[in-house]
Amino acid sequence: MLGHLIRRALRSLRENVYLNLVSTGVIAAAVLLAGVYLAIMVNLGSVVDSWDRDVHVSAYFYTDVPVDRRFEIKDDVANLPPVAEVRYVTEEEAAAWLVEKVEDVGPIVEELGPSVLPASLEITLKSENTRPGDIKAFVESMDDSDFEFIDYGQEWVQRFNTFLALLQVLGIVLGSLIFTAAVFLVGNTMHLVAYARRQELETMKLVGATWTFVAIPFILEGAIQGLVGSSIAVVGVLGLHTALVNQLQDALSLAVSDTMTFLPLPYIAMLLLSGVVLGVMGCSTSIYRFWSQAP
Amino acid sequence: MIRLYHVHKAFGDVEALNDVTVHVSKGEFAYITGASGAGKSTMLKLLYGAIRPTSGKLLVGGVDASKLSQRQLPFLRRNIGVIFQDFKLIENRTVGDNIGLALEVLGIPRPEVDRRVRAALNVVGLKTKGDRYPLDLSGGEQQRVAVARAIINDPAVLLADEPTGNLDGGLAIEVMEILLSVNLRGTTVLVATHDVALMDRFPHRRLRFEHGRLAES
Repeated sequence: MLGHLIRRALRSLRENVYLNLVSTGVIAAAVLLAGVYLAIMVNLGSVVDSWDRDVHVSAYFYTDVPVDRRFEIKDDVANLPPVAEVRYVTEEEAAAWLVEKVEDVGPIVEELGPSVLPASLEITLKSENTRPGDIKAFVESMDDSDFEFIDYGQEWVQRFNTFLALLQVLGIVLGSLIFTAAVFLVGNTMHLVAYARRQELETMKLVGATWTFVAIPFILEGAIQGLVGSSIAVVGVLGLHTALVNQLQDALSLAVSDTMTFLPLPYIAMLLLSGVVLGVMGCSTSIYRFWSQAP
Repeated sequence: MIRLYHVHKAFGDVEALNDVTVHVSKGEFAYITGASGAGKSTMLKLLYGAIRPTSGKLLVGGVDASKLSQRQLPFLRRNIGVIFQDFKLIENRTVGDNIGLALEVLGIPRPEVDRRVRAALNVVGLKTKGDRYPLDLSGGEQQRVAVARAIINDPAVLLADEPTGNLDGGLAIEVMEILLSVNLRGTTVLVATHDVALMDRFPHRRLRFEHGRLAES
């Protein structure tokens, strides 16, 4: 019986090539939109992660703190649970860094002497402690009596936080719009498919077909359309991703492929599944509408 | 086989059937007759569950057709063959597939379906037309395809709505002879028609409707 139902689904796909192509295309377009959106979110996520990894706390010593004391403090800080690594930066190293980073500042530094910048501790936190709230809490928990200033890019972290929140809201709004549009498009196309086959549905019902007997081939059709459509969409997203990576690589002469990642497997599986769900839902609801109206 | 008790059917303010009580025995052949709009088609539609009575009781093979759920309805229809006035053939399926549909829905294996389709095509005189499509056939041939589909699973009840309406004299007689042969095999047959000449030629019980009421039974 199942074999027969599958054969019917395949035959129906062959017999209604044009309508099936249209609904497959609509599903592909809807899933492509969702895929592009997901790819953007995933890449922003990985950028965010890489930024997170770069978050350091710089604690600048008072100039009168003896060097021995500085190393004691360094060891104390290194033993704090959230800390991954601590590096002591001498005045000379700081000055050399300044000369390297800022053009034409060399002569000024030379004139002022190597102690132009204070010595500092450059603290890297463990990855699980790099959220803005955690960094702030860590800095507040530090004994700051020997430090003139502790910097962890407060302003930057705050701006970044706002940006992230905005991105999430935007994501939810965009995602909802895409989903609504996809359901609307697929539903309407499937409705046309069902309308074209209302005579077949009515006749089948009149000769004693059950809902299951009629629905299974339609649902299989929807699933096949969904799978084909979403596969096309995934290939489309991959194509766009590759093209964008190449463009950026050429334009910026950077190895952007290291930072720009394609969708991870679970996301691809989710896209394929969403295509199947769209196809099945669209098919079954449209068919049911006509089925329930048939005598 | 068919029992109606005080059946009423109204469409809005229009009373299509009014207090109809009638019994049709197993294996009986009867005509449902009357002028256009008298209630013939309404009576048939009630019997195969396309519409529900407004009130009254309606038994087909002991089953109360007025109380069947949508899930139960297919099982009633599998025991009823219906020849529709507009044939209800699926245009993009071959004649053979259209006829076999009544067996397909029962889950009968394809080789058995094919064998019985060939036999049914023989009975209705369309032996060579199994691979054609309905729109390639004449109105009379389409009518016979509808007959073949209705009788292919040896239903307990056969309902025919103007089965000779589109046929010329000779073909009408052929179709009537098919219906009679089905009846001889024990099927209860109800034929809705207003063709008096046909009823005179093949005399059987007449259920005559007038303005929704049973005037003669």
